[in-house]
Amino acid sequence: MPGPRESRPFVGSEPRRALILAAIYALLVIVLLIGGGLYVRTLIAQSFRIAADLGATRALVYSSLKYMLDEETGVRGYAATQDPLFLEPYHDALQPFATTVQQLKMSLTEFDAPAAAAAAADIVAVNAEYVRTVATPLLSDRGNNTNAIERKGKVLVDRFRADVTTIDGVLTQREAGVDTQVRASIDRIGLLTGGAVTIVLLISLLYAVQQAALAVRIERERALAADNRREADVLRAAYTTEKRIADTLQEAFVQRPLPTHPTFRFSATYVPASEEAKVGGDWYDALELPGNRVLFAIGDVTGHGIAAAVTMNRVRQALISSALLDPMPAALLQRVGKELYADKAPLVTAVAGFADANTYEFFYATAGHPPPLLLEPGRPPRMLECGSLPLGAMADNDFQTFRIQSVPGAMLVLYTDGAIEHSRDVIEGEAILLAAAAEVARLVPPDPATFIHNAVFDGREIGDDVAILTIGFAADPAIGVRISADRAQAAFTGRLAGTPAAPHPSAEQPMQAWWGHRVGKKAA
Amino acid sequence: MNKSIAVIRLTGELEIGRKDEIAAALVVAGSESGILLDFSDVNYADSTSLAELLRFRDEAAKQNVPVAIVIGSKQFARLIQYAGLSHAFRIFDNRAEALMDLSQAGTE
Repeated sequence: MPGPRESRPFVGSEPRRALILAAIYALLVIVLLIGGGLYVRTLIAQSFRIAADLGATRALVYSSLKYMLDEETGVRGYAATQDPLFLEPYHDALQPFATTVQQLKMSLTEFDAPAAAAAAADIVAVNAEYVRTVATPLLSDRGNNTNAIERKGKVLVDRFRADVTTIDGVLTQREAGVDTQVRASIDRIGLLTGGAVTIVLLISLLYAVQQAALAVRIERERALAADNRREADVLRAAYTTEKRIADTLQEAFVQRPLPTHPTFRFSATYVPASEEAKVGGDWYDALELPGNRVLFAIGDVTGHGIAAAVTMNRVRQALISSALLDPMPAALLQRVGKELYADKAPLVTAVAGFADANTYEFFYATAGHPPPLLLEPGRPPRMLECGSLPLGAMADNDFQTFRIQSVPGAMLVLYTDGAIEHSRDVIEGEAILLAAAAEVARLVPPDPATFIHNAVFDGREIGDDVAILTIGFAADPAIGVRISADRAQAAFTGRLAGTPAAPHPSAEQPMQAWWGHRVGKKAA
Repeated sequence: MNKSIAVIRLTGELEIGRKDEIAAALVVAGSESGILLDFSDVNYADSTSLAELLRFRDEAAKQNVPVAIVIGSKQFARLIQYAGLSHAFRIFDNRAEALMDLSQAGTE
């Protein structure tokens, strides 16, 4: 029966892979952020250092300006007043000025600003020239063309101012550059942070979308699994119910006891398929008829389950009731087949007939069923004739009655197809069955049907239902009743129950005279 | 009449698991002058498949289409015999003879 559909595990490798990917992304973003931050921080630190250097340099410029002005103020004051007090700032400024300008020159050289460095050099030159051509003459040579000297001093001071302006310009330019750099770095930080935040947001979004999709899928699969489970439960319940009904029907007939009769020997076995209990439509029947005769029947309804079991029981009842009117097998099967065909019942294969203890005859007809097997004392077992369509195949079927003139101790073995089709090779199946029958002749087991079943299925799996029915004549006719005296006499000669090798009572007769030939082929 | 012989070929073991396939294959179109069932590589048929074969036989008989079977294995031949189908079809052990038989039947 179909089981619930296999469902995939809810948390598979896909979401786990997504999680790992997300972690990798997050790690990348963090590394990127830290690296970018460190880089920008270095850039800013560098800018600040440059800015600090620029500031220091500017301070030097202002100092040099101050010292220059001190010198000039001192010299001019002294020139105007001849008061040596005015010379104090001049003398005080000389030394620091030289030092300051020297430092300024060095700073500017480091900054790699040639114009500013040249200006610084010029400041040194201006100062030297000022000291030589302005300060010294004014301080030493009083009243000596003061105006001309002072004019020259003004020119030099202007040149000095121009130099300072140049340097200041360069420094301002540099500071602006540093500002730009810092601003760019800050922009980069913003960009980096923004980018990182965007990436993280995107990843979160992707992950959320994936999680949502996963949740939807899990819900769907869960619903599907629940559906499947429900469906499987319903199927199982239906199956269980059907099996129970079919089992009951099957048992109802299988447990029917076989008749006991002084002349006839019966044995039977029914074994359902070993794997799943496919209750089939296999059955057998043996029923005492008036006139020292027994009806026997075995059959198989195509299909399994309730329909098969119901059909089987109908066929069985029809065969029995019809046999009580007229047991001739062809007519019997004809009547039952007609009824089945009219009801559009499943096809049924069967062998039906009767055995006559007065004459040791078997009469039978087959309908799409494997042939009966005949086992007679002193002869190898053999398959009998068979061959008409199954019951229910046609409205008016063409069955034949076969008559077998047999002997005391003979046994007819009827079986369903499971007994010979286990290997799918019916030729081999028949050979195995014949060999099992030969063993029955040799060992004379008390229950031939079970013995044959065990011999056939020794170690084989039983893939289909198997029913076996044997109908035998007692080997010792002394215990038989109402048999004709001459036959009893002939059969009795030197025979004991179960002794297979005794001489055949009809051995003198031509073979065809006593073994199966057709009688009364029914007209179509 | 310009009719032709249809050939239906099945192989292997015909069993209930292949019911749909077998039922789909065994169809009488009505325009054939004869149908050749090439079962030369069939070695087994369960009762369900034999029932399909019976149904097919009836369908062909209703439409007056002759059917010939080519049987290649003893096992399958025996099952056909069990089923009582030996007389229901024209049975051959090779395709050439079966085709010849059908073409003659078609001209009748």
